[in-house]
Amino acid sequence: MTPILSLAGITKRYGGVEALKGVDLDVHQGEILAVCGDNGAGKSTLIRIVSGAHEASGGEMRLHGAPVVFRSPHDALTRGIATIYQDLALAPRLSIAENVFMGAELVRPLLLPFVKMLDRKGMRTAARGYLERLQVPVTDMRRPVERLSGGQRQAVAIARALHWNARLVIMDEPTAALGVKETGLVLDLIRRLKAEGRTVVLISHNMADVVALADRVAILKGGRKVIDRPLKGLDADTLAHMVMTGVDRT
Amino acid sequence: MRAVFETWGTALAGLAVVLFFVVAAPNFASPTNLLNIVKETSFLAILALGFTLALITAELDLSIADVASLAAVVTGFLIHGGHPPALAVAAGLGVGLLCGLVNGVSVTRLRVPALIATLGMAAMARGLGFMLTEGVSFVGRWPTGFTGLARASVWGIPALVLWMAGAAAIALVLVKATRTGARMTATGEAEEAARLSGIATARMKRIGLALSGLAAGLTAVLLTASLSSAAPNMAGDYFLYAIAAVLLGMTMVEPGRANIPGTLIAALTLKVLGNGLVLMGAAYYVQDIVLGFIIIASVAVSASVMRKAPLRL
Repeated sequence: MTPILSLAGITKRYGGVEALKGVDLDVHQGEILAVCGDNGAGKSTLIRIVSGAHEASGGEMRLHGAPVVFRSPHDALTRGIATIYQDLALAPRLSIAENVFMGAELVRPLLLPFVKMLDRKGMRTAARGYLERLQVPVTDMRRPVERLSGGQRQAVAIARALHWNARLVIMDEPTAALGVKETGLVLDLIRRLKAEGRTVVLISHNMADVVALADRVAILKGGRKVIDRPLKGLDADTLAHMVMTGVDRT
Repeated sequence: MRAVFETWGTALAGLAVVLFFVVAAPNFASPTNLLNIVKETSFLAILALGFTLALITAELDLSIADVASLAAVVTGFLIHGGHPPALAVAAGLGVGLLCGLVNGVSVTRLRVPALIATLGMAAMARGLGFMLTEGVSFVGRWPTGFTGLARASVWGIPALVLWMAGAAAIALVLVKATRTGARMTATGEAEEAARLSGIATARMKRIGLALSGLAAGLTAVLLTASLSSAAPNMAGDYFLYAIAAVLLGMTMVEPGRANIPGTLIAALTLKVLGNGLVLMGAAYYVQDIVLGFIIIASVAVSASVMRKAPLRL
């Protein structure tokens, strides 16, 4: 089957620094792929390229088999790839509804054809619908995101991905800085995305999360992919050792 | 209670100032004086509304007053030369808009911080104003078709008040009810999040700065029509007032965020304050001292509400 996303020989240079030295990576429909690696391994650079935030210096990216170039996050979003960044995803002082619909607001024709009037009520109703789908019980869509718990914030970010109807959701350290209970909530959210038939790429330092969720794991080290294998049979300790050494000794 | 105080505290303080002058300042409460204050407020309010729109996208426009002076001089130059009022008005608005667009390009394309880009624009606008007038003013008996823009009344309501109400209504609808407004707000609130959500943040900043320039142009046209004269630096006094109005406005209605109703209430409050001080015989320089204090205190109040700096400039 054609991978939903296929990277071939992706490189990225920042000035003299080579952050990615030719990475090949396939993401298959419906899987949860964990991408692991130490700080500086190139994880963030890789997802920034896939999400359109940065352009690759070299290599090729194929979406459903067809070559694509993303020049902006908007390009990636409209092609069905949504990325949920660790801290950058939300505007804390804006409401839940405003955050879910940021950049993809519901509008209704009114007044003049070129003036796009917001459908605020529609956005609140739809936002509540997305959160219900994710089984997150928040009722007031006017509430600013800064007054939500960490897990609820992730739910808002995921609701935004649902609104874009993203087929591929990339999550950058979704459980970092969360407590045990909140982490459990976010893991459930990710399982629900998978249950809806969406593909998830999970960037994580937390090996317990990876073991709990992933179907497959890719490990980056020094800007290269050194390991790419099914998760099956790995425990968190072995995985952590593999991330550290870059060697698969199973 | 705390929420009410955070939202309306400084507006109530403004009301207290009004009541104080009603009691203490001779003639303050006379209908003529009150109407004068409201009319005078319109220039300040429209200029400050523009500044508000730029600040909503988290960009400063320090050029508003000098751009307004330049636009006034261009308008006056054309009227004085016997050109049709429509042309003069279009030119005044156009100069404001053009300066705003240049500011927007400097900030987003050339990556000059707004503080620097608009300060530079202010200096250029001031210089151009003096160049055009050679330092003197255009004064004359200008056609009422032009001066009426500021001096006429419609159904007993002074035109200036209508201009202010219209500008405020348009700005409010833009910010609160349109997609562009929502994207400008998102850009100002969390630029990186907005960009990653697919919003063209640079374009939103250009729109904010362009509208700020346009508002300066409108202020200039109304000021010129109202005074029947145009002079370089004629809007100079509005600079501190406009900034103070926006920052004071940020302490109310939507605390910590530049907002249209806050700017309006604050503009009126400041004009009341200025007028009352004059009526009580305070020297002109007292106003500057008070304005400076209000600017600093307003940002401090916003910071205490938000528990962090409200402006990152």
